[in-house]
Amino acid sequence: MSNSVSPPQSIRLVHGLLVRQLLTRGRVLALLALGILLGVVALSVRLADSLEDPLRSSVEIFDVIGFTLVVPIVALVFAGAALGDSREDGTLVYLWLRPMDRWPVVVGAWLAAVSVALPLTVIPMGVSALITGVGEGLLAATVLAAVVGVLVYSAVFLLLGLLLKNSIIWGIGYILIWEGLIAQFGSALGKAALRGYTRSILANRMEIDLDGFTELSTSTAVVVPAVVIIVALLLSTLRLQSMEID
Amino acid sequence: MSDLPPPPPPPPPSGAPVDLGYLTDAYSASGPPMVEAFGVTKAFGDVIAVSDVSFRIGSGITAILGPNGAGKSTLFRILCGLTPPSRGRVEVLGRDARRDRDVRGRIGLAPQQDALFDRLSALEFVEFAARTNGMEAPEASARAALDYVELSADDTKRVGAFSKGMRQRVKLAAALVHDPEILVLDEPLTGLDPVQRTRMIELFNDLAGRDKCLLVSSHVLDEVARLGSNVLVIAQGRLAAAGDYHALRDMMDDRPHRIRVVTDQPRRLGAAVIERELAMGVTIERDGITLDTTNVDRLGRSIAPLAVELQAHLEALAPLDDDLESVFRYLVERR
Repeated sequence: MSNSVSPPQSIRLVHGLLVRQLLTRGRVLALLALGILLGVVALSVRLADSLEDPLRSSVEIFDVIGFTLVVPIVALVFAGAALGDSREDGTLVYLWLRPMDRWPVVVGAWLAAVSVALPLTVIPMGVSALITGVGEGLLAATVLAAVVGVLVYSAVFLLLGLLLKNSIIWGIGYILIWEGLIAQFGSALGKAALRGYTRSILANRMEIDLDGFTELSTSTAVVVPAVVIIVALLLSTLRLQSMEID
Repeated sequence: MSDLPPPPPPPPPSGAPVDLGYLTDAYSASGPPMVEAFGVTKAFGDVIAVSDVSFRIGSGITAILGPNGAGKSTLFRILCGLTPPSRGRVEVLGRDARRDRDVRGRIGLAPQQDALFDRLSALEFVEFAARTNGMEAPEASARAALDYVELSADDTKRVGAFSKGMRQRVKLAAALVHDPEILVLDEPLTGLDPVQRTRMIELFNDLAGRDKCLLVSSHVLDEVARLGSNVLVIAQGRLAAAGDYHALRDMMDDRPHRIRVVTDQPRRLGAAVIERELAMGVTIERDGITLDTTNVDRLGRSIAPLAVELQAHLEALAPLDDDLESVFRYLVERR
């Protein structure tokens, strides 16, 4: 006879299962290639003699490649799949029809996505920061912004995976159109894009103005994503509770 | 007068399922109901998947019989709380599985879809089910469940590499690992070879003997014959019949049958068949006749001598509606 499963136990179980499900060789290799791309560009910055301000160039490269592509795409691939794949292939029933509360399932899935996405973003970006040779300040700023970015993007894309089929396609559209383009048109829109916060952390820590993104303090750039995470996880819980399971 | 057969029973009221004597008999025989459906309807947009279905089920095996697309899986999903009914309600052990966390741990579901966590071994998959059902000794429970369905717990191969039959048994092991009172098994015999089917049916009967409530869906009538005597027939989303399997079988035998006879003398043979009351109706065609009869045995015995008598060449004799679909159609039309 079964008993209810405590929330910490549920989180642990879901996390352990989904980490194994998410870590496929194809995904890891494809996403590592993104990180390597950043490393190659960082190396070219270091080797270039003609740059007026290598620090600014490095920060801009991390802004464009690291925080507009690497962080959101790695988070999308894992977080969108964490519950989204289960929803689409029909295995969600094995998490849903259990004497477990819904929120630990959501938190466990989020932590699984974060656990897998963090090493695949922070390590390549950290190494790339070191490759630029512009100082350890860029390393610290990159790591902090990458951690914040992975945490918040993962929460948002986890929700997306529960809401929409083919979340990867929708997510890439969101990253390229909203995060990549629209949010560049002004600081007001910038605040409505998650990229604005990772960018602000980078800009503040490096004391470089990136089109007005130093307007947000580092603490704001951490607190707002934290709120977004909580709201996204709450919505995911409500969604999991109310959705129809195939 | 005393030789006259008894009058046929009155037709069931419109909209009511054909009562084969189960709803009341089995209910009282097997104690309190474990699963109850009250006027359950489920619509997906304009499509009505399940329409006003009501029943009560106690312990033992109840087969849910119906053609593909009849609404069996949707009904199971509603019972397990996976999808809410559009109208009506379902109670499993007196509770709503969609809202009540604890009752979900008293249900074991083997869904129809083939999906499993393919990167896990069978032991890991079933152990995960045990852990997420709060079992105190998950590995031991998983080993026992796998042993019960005759799979090796020490096979390290991932379930993604398993055959269809092995995957079915993994699903079954995961469904019963926490010893649930209610087992919902959606087409569990699909993909199994005859030996595995026989073994699986033995397992179901064994579980039913332990006062479990087993709901087993199938679209194959012969499977249902081996599953036990209680059936709910679902057709076009409606409960078409409910009751004892043998009563259903008798009703099938009594229903009008349509037989195609290929002959070079269709007019003469057709006229003779009607004259001797071997069929209720005959359709004459260029190369044969189509007969409607309620007495297949008598027709079968008489048609060949009749053809000889008429010097008609009988080339073929074949039933046109001896499949489950036609049975369901007949039950639906009777409503």
